[in-house]
Amino acid sequence: MLTISPAVRKSTNLIYNFAQRESKARYKRSLLGWFWSFANPLTTVAVYGFVFGIVYGARAPITDNGNAQNFGLFLFCGLVSWSSFTGVVNGCMGWLASVSDLRKKIYFPTETALLGGAAANAVQTALEAFVLVVIMAVLGNLSWTVVFLPIALILTMAFGLGIGFIVSVLNARYRDIQYLVGILLNVSFFLVPIVFTIDLVPEHKWGLPIRTLVAWNPPALFVGIARDGVYFLDAPSGAKLLAATGWAIVSFSVGWVYFRARSMEISEEP
Amino acid sequence: MTIGQIAVEDVSKRFRLERNRPSSLKEALLRIGRSRDVDDFWVLRNINLTVEPGSFFGLVGHNGSGKSTLLRLMAGIHRPSVGQISATGRLSALLELGSGFHPDLTGRENVFLNGAMLGLSRKHMADSMDHIIEFSGIGEFIDEPVKIYSSGMYVRLGFAVAVNVDPEILLVDEVIAVGDEEFQQRCMNHMNMLRERGTTIVLVSHNAVLMQELCDTVGWLDHGRLLELGDPTSVVGSYLDHVASGGDNTLTTRD
Repeated sequence: MLTISPAVRKSTNLIYNFAQRESKARYKRSLLGWFWSFANPLTTVAVYGFVFGIVYGARAPITDNGNAQNFGLFLFCGLVSWSSFTGVVNGCMGWLASVSDLRKKIYFPTETALLGGAAANAVQTALEAFVLVVIMAVLGNLSWTVVFLPIALILTMAFGLGIGFIVSVLNARYRDIQYLVGILLNVSFFLVPIVFTIDLVPEHKWGLPIRTLVAWNPPALFVGIARDGVYFLDAPSGAKLLAATGWAIVSFSVGWVYFRARSMEISEEP
Repeated sequence: MTIGQIAVEDVSKRFRLERNRPSSLKEALLRIGRSRDVDDFWVLRNINLTVEPGSFFGLVGHNGSGKSTLLRLMAGIHRPSVGQISATGRLSALLELGSGFHPDLTGRENVFLNGAMLGLSRKHMADSMDHIIEFSGIGEFIDEPVKIYSSGMYVRLGFAVAVNVDPEILLVDEVIAVGDEEFQQRCMNHMNMLRERGTTIVLVSHNAVLMQELCDTVGWLDHGRLLELGDPTSVVGSYLDHVASGGDNTLTTRD
């Protein structure tokens, strides 16, 4: 029989509460509610699709059966993973800040606020992924490799949480961190092959193996695995999966240990 | 470890007061290499005490003597800098106005959140909800965000939650003084009821009569040290004598 320790049950209950609060608060007092969570990625897809696909005439890579060859869809595959990553990293700072006053008055494990926020973020990501899969199914561009989409998204989430744990603690001390992180994320967006394909990146430049660096950085791996699964319908290479899993585990564990070591200090920040 | 017991063993608590603390990353970077202007402020020093299960414990002392910090340590909000502190059992704390309430959530949502923080299931909280609303006398405001509550309403709801979650340990700071006479009376009655049920209660108050009436044991804190511990009448008596004699109550960060 499965027995759950009271501490774990308490934490799960709290995570659920924070997740619910995050979901509710996000679209409070808005008429269209959850519609907005689609509006953002869809307009991004439309705008980038227009600029790169039509203005620049970029050809999207050929998909498995050629039906889904569309720059917008190519982008969407990358954006699902990327926006979940930025959502978690930015979110962690906000979620911690929003409970720091509370934490000065009552004890609760602070990480539950971040995990709850991440859970709400995961629900939104799952909805986006669902829309993507439905579109691909309608176009007939679907195979068993679709299982790599959730795998990529789970790894993205773990990796993002690890970074989020660290930056949220730093941000509690210096509010500059949130602006710095915002800028770094904006820059990274263009360093990850989301709006371009990896073969457009020169192999070497300034004496650096640029293409390898771009291809093997963690967000690019997650984006790549997601795209392999739902766009190219190819199983990603073992090396790619291994590297992505490694990044996710290292980031999450380091972040977790750091957060646990520092989170008691949150209540003493002035 | 016995349920309801609070053991404070040789606890000291230091707060760092950083003068001209860098408030931004830029300032912090500019100061790398320079010595930090840090003052250690010992709020509590070598506190030893045990609150027995089911007893009513009172803390007296001037403002800034460390009473609230000791309460926060008992509640697990801060970690002691030195020593050990353990509070065994479900602990409910009413430390300051609206403690444990999130301003943007409604009263009802806050009740659920508080319950979750205390490790109680949603169902348990849903079952106690009517009773909490009735006890607090907050009426339809329960579905409004707590930020619009008056200070009296905050305390009413806070107290209603704190005592209705079936605590094994209840920590109460001066807050109930905010409520009106009628509400204060209701709080007293309820605390007496909890005490009869075997709940350990720790109360901080300046009301000497109240302390002598309610407490089994009283501790007197002065500048972070536990000066006296024992029978309420004699401890509160010597505290009052000290106040009357114009004892040194200035707040200081240095000593």
